[in-house]
Amino acid sequence: MTLLELDDVSVYYGRIQAIHNMSFTVEEGEIVSLIGANGAGKTTTMKTISGLLNPTTGTIKFMGEDITKMKAHIRVVQGISQAPEGRGIFPAMTVLENLDMGTFGRKDRSGVGEDLERVFDLFPRLKERVKQYGGTMSGGEQQMLAIGRALMSRPKLLLLDEPSMGLAPQFIRQIFKIITEINSQGTTVLLVEQNANQALARAHRGFVLETGEITHSGTGKELLANPAIKEAYLGVG
Amino acid sequence: MIPTILMAAPVANDWITLDFVSLGQNFWSATFDGLTFGSIYALVALGYTLVYGVLNLINFAHSEVFIMGCYAVFFTLSFLGFGPSAPNLGIGQIVVNLLLALLAAIVASALTAFLLERLAYKPLRKRNAPRLVFLITAIGASFTIQYLIFLWRGPVPEQALTMFQTKPIFEVFGTIIYSDQILIVTAAVIMMVVTERFISKSRTGRGIRAVAQDPDTATLMGVNKEKIIITTFVIGGILAGAAALFYVMKIPSGVVYNGGFILGIKAFAAAVLGGIGNVRGALLGGLLLGLIGNYGQILLGNSQWTDVVAFLVLVLVLLFRPEGILGTSLGRSKA
Repeated sequence: MTLLELDDVSVYYGRIQAIHNMSFTVEEGEIVSLIGANGAGKTTTMKTISGLLNPTTGTIKFMGEDITKMKAHIRVVQGISQAPEGRGIFPAMTVLENLDMGTFGRKDRSGVGEDLERVFDLFPRLKERVKQYGGTMSGGEQQMLAIGRALMSRPKLLLLDEPSMGLAPQFIRQIFKIITEINSQGTTVLLVEQNANQALARAHRGFVLETGEITHSGTGKELLANPAIKEAYLGVG
Repeated sequence: MIPTILMAAPVANDWITLDFVSLGQNFWSATFDGLTFGSIYALVALGYTLVYGVLNLINFAHSEVFIMGCYAVFFTLSFLGFGPSAPNLGIGQIVVNLLLALLAAIVASALTAFLLERLAYKPLRKRNAPRLVFLITAIGASFTIQYLIFLWRGPVPEQALTMFQTKPIFEVFGTIIYSDQILIVTAAVIMMVVTERFISKSRTGRGIRAVAQDPDTATLMGVNKEKIIITTFVIGGILAGAAALFYVMKIPSGVVYNGGFILGIKAFAAAVLGGIGNVRGALLGGLLLGLIGNYGQILLGNSQWTDVVAFLVLVLVLLFRPEGILGTSLGRSKA
């Protein structure tokens, strides 16, 4: 089943066009990676899907329903949850309060405890630090918190915007391992990354984004093997 | 002919005399009165601080949200037949009258705050206006409301209405505490504690804190930012309405079209002193400003100095703690 479908989507910042006629789908159960350099339009794409930005043309469908004009805070309730670029941790809230914010739009309070246990299983470090303030945590811990918080809304589609940004290599491997685990538990993941190597190795399918346009698409393995991509994104000549 | 005020003006060598004897003699009465006024500042300061928290906007028109509450108190009491001298009423009747006036003030102030946000600020947000445009709009809205009241009521202050004869209740450190002081401080503290609890514990309060800390991420959590913003304005209005009742109780002759200006500036200063955006800071700042103003007035022997001293202290505090005493972020204080 197609979970998310972008059809001919264009996004502008004032007069500057950031996304050009983008079309792609995310199928239920997949990990899809969108890779690209700085300024390629990765974050813009994410914000458009989560509703923080509105496309000028094109439609976005989620589970077959047109959500192009749906407000961002309602999309969360519908099942789209995002760990934003820069993590977006509330600095003056504790770890537990941050996780609790992830349940803000939920109607079923009864399932919250269960999901909290699941997040603590995935990220035991968060359980140790429930009372610590978000602003005082390291980058890696904040990334765990951002992903854990996004899971607290029990999403059908998890959007991850550069989860590896600013992290030490051992943290990056750990984060990607956990993303695979989240996916195997049944959550569909759409990921944007500059770290193409890890992002494509973990993905079922991938897209390459250059100045607001999709230039390559294929399975993760195909893209990893593509010489042009190797040269541009994987640092291999 | 020389105006009497100039003839009475002190000569150069005694106008900076610090009258510590008077301060010592009147210390406790100055303290209790300072706390009373400080509570009123604090209630109004909360409105500045909450709106600043969620919008990063200094809502200069909040002083008019307050004065609308004062007018509501005035009209309600006039309607109930109050005049310049205190009516001889039983305690039950006084309480009923005060509650009616409080209700009217809260409705008037909250409605003003609601309309202000809907008519002045929301259209700007839709257009992604720069911050300076919001600030100029706030000042413009303040003047607009003032002159609308001016057109309606003219330049002369409304007749003073006395709500009740203040009674001495008990004595502390040889100073008599009056019923209005107890009423104002108690009611204000209860309202501030309820507000603080609401912001830190309720679902809406969590939404307010989330929007204050990171509006985009708050939206991604399912928080309806627009609803949070309008709620914040209404809460500020409710508190300003309560402050209006207490203010008219203390200064019955102050209801005039621009009567909110000075109090608004002081409440804003109180919010900055405590740390703007910080709920407990507004409380602390309000009480401190009330105390400092009253001590300064006695120390310098002239009520004209009240505001000067208060602002001098504000500037000194900000020199050493630019973020105010408790820091700026909404809910960030851990003290």
